[in-house]
Amino acid sequence: MTASVTPSAATSLTTSLTMAGMKLAVLRNSMSGQKSGSIVIGGVLGLVLAGGTLFAAFRTGDLLAAAYAIWMLGWIFGPVFSGGGDETLRPEYFTLLGIPPRRLASGLLVGAFVGIAPVISLLALAGLAVFGVRQSPAAVVVALPAMLLQLAVFVLLSRVAVAVLGLALRSRVGAVGAGLVNGAILAALGQGWVFAVALGQAGGITPEASAALRYLPSGWGLAAVEAAVAGSWGRAALTLGALAVLVALLLAAWAALLTRRAGSARASARGRRPITASTASGAVVAKELRVWSRDLVRTHQLTFALAYGVFFAAAPLLLGVHGMLPWAGPIFVLMAAAMSANLYGADGTALWLTLVAPGAADVRGRQQAWLLVVGPVAVAVTLAFSAAVGGFEPAVLALTAALLGGGAGIVPLISVYALVPGTDPHRRGGNPLRVSEDDGAMTGLAYAVLALVALTGAPAALAAWLYGWAGVAVGVVTGALSFWGFGLLAQRRLHSHGPDLLQTMRTGKRPAAATGPGRWMSLDHLPKREQIITVICWSIGAVPLFPQGIVAGVLKAGGTENRSWFLALHLPDGLQWPTIAFMVLLGLGLYGLGLWIPYRRRT
Amino acid sequence: MTPALEIVGLSKTFGEKTAVDHVDLTVPQGSFYGLVGQNGAGKTTTLSMAVGLLRPDAGSARIFGADVWSAPSRALSLVGVLPDGMAMPERLTGREVLTYLGLLRGLPKEVVAERAEELLSVLELDAAERTLVIEYSTGMRKKIGLAVALLHAPRLLVLDEPFEAVDPVSAATIKTILRGFVAGGGSIVLSSHVMALVEQLCDHVGVIDAGRVAAAGTLEEVRGERSLEDTFVDLVGAPGAGAKALSWLSR
Ligand SMILES: Nc1ncnc2c1ncn2[C@@H]1O[C@H](COP(=O)(O)OP(=O)(O)OP(=O)(O)O)[C@@H](O)[C@H]1O
Ligand SMILES: [Mg+2]
Repeated sequence: MTASVTPSAATSLTTSLTMAGMKLAVLRNSMSGQKSGSIVIGGVLGLVLAGGTLFAAFRTGDLLAAAYAIWMLGWIFGPVFSGGGDETLRPEYFTLLGIPPRRLASGLLVGAFVGIAPVISLLALAGLAVFGVRQSPAAVVVALPAMLLQLAVFVLLSRVAVAVLGLALRSRVGAVGAGLVNGAILAALGQGWVFAVALGQAGGITPEASAALRYLPSGWGLAAVEAAVAGSWGRAALTLGALAVLVALLLAAWAALLTRRAGSARASARGRRPITASTASGAVVAKELRVWSRDLVRTHQLTFALAYGVFFAAAPLLLGVHGMLPWAGPIFVLMAAAMSANLYGADGTALWLTLVAPGAADVRGRQQAWLLVVGPVAVAVTLAFSAAVGGFEPAVLALTAALLGGGAGIVPLISVYALVPGTDPHRRGGNPLRVSEDDGAMTGLAYAVLALVALTGAPAALAAWLYGWAGVAVGVVTGALSFWGFGLLAQRRLHSHGPDLLQTMRTGKRPAAATGPGRWMSLDHLPKREQIITVICWSIGAVPLFPQGIVAGVLKAGGTENRSWFLALHLPDGLQWPTIAFMVLLGLGLYGLGLWIPYRRRT
Repeated sequence: MTPALEIVGLSKTFGEKTAVDHVDLTVPQGSFYGLVGQNGAGKTTTLSMAVGLLRPDAGSARIFGADVWSAPSRALSLVGVLPDGMAMPERLTGREVLTYLGLLRGLPKEVVAERAEELLSVLELDAAERTLVIEYSTGMRKKIGLAVALLHAPRLLVLDEPFEAVDPVSAATIKTILRGFVAGGGSIVLSSHVMALVEQLCDHVGVIDAGRVAAAGTLEEVRGERSLEDTFVDLVGAPGAGAKALSWLSR
């Protein structure tokens, strides 16, 4: 009987098909649910990027190779910031079924191909076919398998990266290391212009860089197509073979990592100091400080924020520009705030303890703890780097003070007003990055905090720009006011809406908004089109307002030579101020529109 | 005498589903009150609303006369709560949890340290001195929850399934503690599915069925001559309805 030969192949196939089916079912459900908004926005952004990549395919191979390198980085690092990536099908779901790891990994891989991101990436990879056919129609024979293998490499690299990071987050050293690496790479991406300029100075991309782009795993598909175009079919076949081997190796690595995933992130085994506080808010501070030091996910977030700030500000050193270095402090504060955006959500239903002891000042304690964790590092970095470049700039010091207070105020405020229900810590699965079911909302919250905290720095920046050192005093005052005022608002909200927040946390859903008279429409209730416009306004409004507008203005006022990516500073002198004003207005306009749409629809 | 806990007309609807439908319950001072009902009957929902953890659609709850929703500080200082399935400050050790909460409740530092020590040793959690709560077993979580409920020496305890997943030795300890608490003038409301346990411990019983009170009163009034189990099955369901065997399980 043939069945005796192929049972394992047959079950493998069944496993894979079942998983693909499960994934489709979940996707279909989420398209009609709350998450559909983020899926649509992600899809639209992805399509734009894929279009850009196809455009590159009509230009040079170098450009296409660079584009694929970026796609690969996106696949690897995207999950780190969006709550551990696509976890629709979790390995834990299948542990009890006793499926062998290799088959589980292949099944999950098939499931991983079902989704929007892989489809969009495949569209981008169609650039390989375009690139090949343009030069030699026969190359399509190589381009098609190259597309599929390259997609498999992307998807697998993403899974392996998440699994490796998951393992790293089980030890303090691993968490710190991962934070450093991630921060450095993301900062490098954010400062891409530095490298572009550094490369561009040599007049186009150097041969070494061109070769390096093809040695990256993202460039192998292109290398195969180029070989085919050049007529060296042997080399093309060999490169395709290498891609297939890479896929097999990654699959094996992922299977091995899956077996090690069992169990959640361990708490760190640091010495346990007894709590010495003697007041209620002292107790909250003591508790929060312990969470900060024992939760390795938070360790990772803090290290990431620091590494991002330092590398981002240090990147221009490559061009011999060191004026940006002291900004590492403020950038770190902003990133740290964004990373801790879901302060209350992260604790899950432990909120009930705050509700049964209503007198205690929970918000104040958390604010102090946040300041104690972020403040000293931020101040030290700002002062040390300022001293290193040999000058204390009022704007840097003013912003450090203002943003510290702003962060300590905005973080708890946002997390009680726009709580994203987290998964209770003891119920989380094997992926320590996965702290909430609604990763889209988590990412949105982080951006909102980034923008709002930056906004709290605006008065200080303005004052520093106009009056120099007086700005520092303004920074200290607005920082203190933000800390006090936003904290007070957060505390009021916690008292008045505590049980509702707890209910949100318990069920993972926001309670149906009581749309009383005069209330703004919540985002979920807007028509889909307006939902999308609102979210886009909120997510990109910061770009013209802060970097292109306010920061560019501050730099121009400071008479800087560093134009970096500030559009205005590259324009002729007469146009610079008008452009800056336009950018600020554009940013304000976008935010205004984002507010006006839900306001207009209020009932 | 004001009742320890007085629930009047509490209601809660989740979407289409009415989980609790005008529940009235009175827990006299000094009583040991058992709340029984099937899975999904509405016990957890009722108790959560009674202690201010869930906002009711209608009705009110008073603890020693203080309204839970309009005078929360006074009401909540008199009650100790053990909710079902809620998180704790997971990255603290048991002792740290108690210290943190004692201070949060405004107790002096020395008192907190003394009580934490005693609670941990009575509940046999002191062996796991360096273990974080996130690493606790299910039963250990119940026990630390109970310690949290007892820490500020409340006058009323509201316990949601306190014996679930607790080993027999610890269960005996907990029973002794609870009996002592009632003997000392305290009042207790607990929910449970185990009729024998309720009969053994409680002097008052409330039976909840599909969000309504099916029967309430002293143990004798509710069960009469029969066992509580028979009365319960009589009250909440057709006999034998759930007793069909799964034929495909036997070979
Ligand atoms: N947040 C919620 N959203 C929707 N329905 C809910 C929610 N919480 C409870 N319910 C529903 O309310 C009903 C009562 O639930 P509750 O948890 O109070 O029951 P219970 O008596 O405590 O059950 P058990 O004995 O299993 O603990 C159930 O039908 C449940 O499905
Ligand atoms: Mg229950």
